[in-house]
Amino acid sequence: MRKPGRFMVGLVGVAAVVSYLIWTGVSNTMVYYLTPTELLARVKADPSFRNVGVKVSGKVVAGTVERVPDQLVYRFKVHDLSDPAVGFQVEYHGTLPDTFTDQSEVVLEGRLDGNGVFQATSLLTKCGSRYEASQQDLRKDVKS
Amino acid sequence: MTVLGEFALWIALPVAIWGMFLGFFGGKTQRGDLVLSAERSIYAVTFLLSLASIGIIAAFLGDKYQYWYVASYSNRDLETFYKFAGLWAGQRGSLLFWALLLSIFASITVFQNRNKNREFMPYVAGVLQGIFTFFLVVLLFAKVNPFQKLAFLPADGQGLNPQLQNYWMTIHPPTLYLGFTAFTIPFAFAMAALLNGRLDSRWIVLTRRWVLLSWFFLSVGILLGMRWAYEELGWGGYWFWDPVENASLLPWLTATAFLHSIQIQEKRGMLKVWNMSLVSMTFLLTIFATFLTRSGLIQSVHAFAEQLRIAYIFLAFLGTVTAGVVVLILYRLPKLQSENRIESFLSRESAFLFNNLILVGAAFAVLWGTIFPLIAEGVTGQKISVGPPFFNKVNIPIGLALLALAGIGPVIGWRRASKRNLRKNFLVPLVATFVISATLWILGVRHGVALTTWGIGLFVLIITGVEFWKGTRARARIEKEPLPVAFYHLVTRNRRRWGGYIVHVGIVLTFAGLAGASYNQDVRKHLMPGDTMNVASPWGHTYHLTYEGLSSSIGRGQRNLDWQAIALFSVREGNKALPNMTTEKRKYVTADQIMTEVGIHTTPEEDLYLILSALDNPSGALNNDPNAQGINLQVLVKPLVIWIWWGGLVLVVGSVIALWPSAERRRDLEDEAPEEPEAVAVGAT
Repeated sequence: MRKPGRFMVGLVGVAAVVSYLIWTGVSNTMVYYLTPTELLARVKADPSFRNVGVKVSGKVVAGTVERVPDQLVYRFKVHDLSDPAVGFQVEYHGTLPDTFTDQSEVVLEGRLDGNGVFQATSLLTKCGSRYEASQQDLRKDVKS
Repeated sequence: MTVLGEFALWIALPVAIWGMFLGFFGGKTQRGDLVLSAERSIYAVTFLLSLASIGIIAAFLGDKYQYWYVASYSNRDLETFYKFAGLWAGQRGSLLFWALLLSIFASITVFQNRNKNREFMPYVAGVLQGIFTFFLVVLLFAKVNPFQKLAFLPADGQGLNPQLQNYWMTIHPPTLYLGFTAFTIPFAFAMAALLNGRLDSRWIVLTRRWVLLSWFFLSVGILLGMRWAYEELGWGGYWFWDPVENASLLPWLTATAFLHSIQIQEKRGMLKVWNMSLVSMTFLLTIFATFLTRSGLIQSVHAFAEQLRIAYIFLAFLGTVTAGVVVLILYRLPKLQSENRIESFLSRESAFLFNNLILVGAAFAVLWGTIFPLIAEGVTGQKISVGPPFFNKVNIPIGLALLALAGIGPVIGWRRASKRNLRKNFLVPLVATFVISATLWILGVRHGVALTTWGIGLFVLIITGVEFWKGTRARARIEKEPLPVAFYHLVTRNRRRWGGYIVHVGIVLTFAGLAGASYNQDVRKHLMPGDTMNVASPWGHTYHLTYEGLSSSIGRGQRNLDWQAIALFSVREGNKALPNMTTEKRKYVTADQIMTEVGIHTTPEEDLYLILSALDNPSGALNNDPNAQGINLQVLVKPLVIWIWWGGLVLVVGSVIALWPSAERRRDLEDEAPEEPEAVAVGAT
C-alpha cells in the first residue's frame, strides 16, 4: 500500500503546515497588552523594553486633547484605568475614530520613546458594551 | 399586542419541551399519533414566536419606552424603517429573531415532509424542539428577556446608534441569521439519521439544498457586513479580524468544507464520520457566533461578568450537544464505515479532502487567534494581543492554497487521475498562467502576495472557462444545437455542478479584489480652501483634489441630525474632470460622538476614498466663519475594491443557479421513495 502511505504524508503535511503557520504567526505578531502601570514598571526594570511594541489600555484625561495646528498629530494624556495618578503623554499620528472623545477608554499600539512620550501608531476606542445603553443613561432622561 | 407577545413566549416553552419529548419518544416507539403531535408542535411554536416578535415590533412602533429593550434601541424621532428593524438591533431581540427564523424554516421542513421521509421526521422535530427549548430558556431566564420592563417610564428612548442607521446594517444581521438558522435543518437531519440508524447518504440528499441555502446567506451576510464597514466606519477597511467578524467567518469556513465533502459521501460513500462531525461543528459554531456577536464577550472581560448567566447557559448547551454528538457517532460507528478507500493522492477525492483539511485548518487558526488572548491570560496572567497581522500571516497562505484547489478539484479525475488526464487538463492553463503572470511582473506588478493571488485566480478562471467551453461545444455537436442554447442546456441539466463553478469564479474575483489592498495608497494633508492635493494612483495616473470649502447646516431634525459640515472637492484625474466629491462630519442628537461620512469615487480600477479627519474649528465652521475652514484630509486609493462586491454578485448568481429547482433533483429525491418501508408505518397515512 504505497499510495495510501503517500496520501497520509500529505494529510499530516497539511496539519503540520497549518500548525506551523499558527505557531509562527502567534510568536511573531503577538504583542504585550499592558496597563500604563505595568508598562512603566517594565521600562524601569529594563530600559530596552522601550523598543518593544506594546498595546496599552488607558483612559484619556479629560481636557488634555490637543491637535497640533496645521499638522496631523494629536497629543493627549492617558492614565491607568485603576490608578489616575499613573499615566503618560501620548502622541498619535493618524485619524481619530469617531468614537474618540476626551473621556474615552482607549487601546493604543506603539512604543514609549526616550522622553517618556508614548508614540502611538494605532488607536482604538473601547466601549464596555458596544451598542447598548446603560440603565444610568436611561435614567438621565426620566422626567422629574 | 406586546403583552400578548410576552405571554406567547411563556407558552412557547412548555410547547417546545412537550414537542421535544414527543418527537424522541414517538420516533422510538413508532407511534404515529405522537409523531403527528410533535410535528404540529413545530407549527405551534412558530405561531407563538411570531406573536412574540410582533409584540416587540409593536412596542417599537408604538414608542413603548417602559420596555428596556425598546428604550435602548429607539427614540421618537427614529425613522419607522429602523423601528421595525429594532427587532434585531440588540442582543435580546436578536435571540428572539433567531428563534423566529428557525421556527419558520422548521415549519417549512415539517410541511415539505408531511407525507414522506417518515423515518427521519419524528427525530427532526424532536431535535428542533430541543433547540427551541434552549433558546426559550435563554430568553426567559438568562436576564435577556426582550419584554423586561423598566422600573420607571423614560420620556424618550436612547435612539439607535447612528452608525447602525445604514441600509447595509439593516439587512446584514437578518441575512447572517438566515444563514445560521438554515444550517440547523441539516444538523437536525444528521442527528435524526444517527438516531434512526439510516446512515447512507439519504440525509445528505434531503438537506443539501438547505446547506447551500445556508451557505448562500452566510456568504451574502458576511459581504454585506464588509460593505457596511467600508462605507460607514470611515477608515477605508472592510475587515478587521474583529472577534465578532471572526465568529461569522467560522461557520462559513466549516460550511464550505461540508458543502464539498458531502459530494464525496454521495458519490463514493466515504467520509461519513467526518461529515457528521462537520455538520455538528458548523451548527455549534453558528450558535457560538449568535451568542458572541451580540454579547461583546471577547472585547472585554467585564462583559463576561454582566453576562455570566447567559454565558453559562450557552456553554452548557454547546457542551451537551458536543457530548451527545460524540456519543451518537461512537454508538453508530459500525454503520459509519467507508464503503470505499481513497486510491490515489492524485484524485478528486483527495483534492476535496485537502480542501476540507485546509478549510478546517483555517477555521481552527481563526478560532485560535480569537480566543488565544483569553486562554493566554487565563494560563499565564499576562495579557497579550494578536491582531490582524496574525490573521493575515496565517490565512493568506491558506487562502491561496484553497484558491488553487478550486482550479484543480473540478478537472482532476475521480479515484485515480491518469497522467493523460493531468496533462490534458493542466498543461495549457498552467503555461498560460505562467506567461500572463510573467507579463504582469514585467509590467511592474512586483508585490509577491498580490501577484500570486492574481496568478492562481487566473489559473482557476482559465480552467473553469475551458470546462464551460468543452461542455458547451460537446453538447452543441451531439444535440446539434447552436452554442448559446447548448450553453443554457448544459447549465440547466446539472445546475449544482455548473452553479458551483460560477461560485468559484465569484470567489476568484473577490480574492482578486482583496489582493488589490497590497497597492493601497494613503496620503494625509492639512488643507485650506483653494489648496490642491495630488495623489498618485498605482495605475500611474494622478488625482488632483482641490478643496473648495466647507458648507454647514444646523438642526435639520431629520434622522435625528443635529448639525453637519460638508467639505467639497473638485477632482481631476490627469486632465480629465471627475464629479465633485464630498466628505462630512455629522453630529446626531442621540449620540455624543461626531460621525464621519466618507466620500467614495468608484471605478473598476480603484476607489478614491476621502475621509474628513478633522475640522480645525468646528464651532467656527458651523457659524460660517471664513477663517475656520481648515481641515485635515485623508485620501486613500484602494485598487480593485469593486471586484470584491462584483465577486459577491457572481457568487449570488452561481448559488441561485445551483439552488433553482430542477427535474434532475426531483428525480433524485423521489428515486428512493419506494424503498422506504417505514413510510407507511409512521403516521403518514
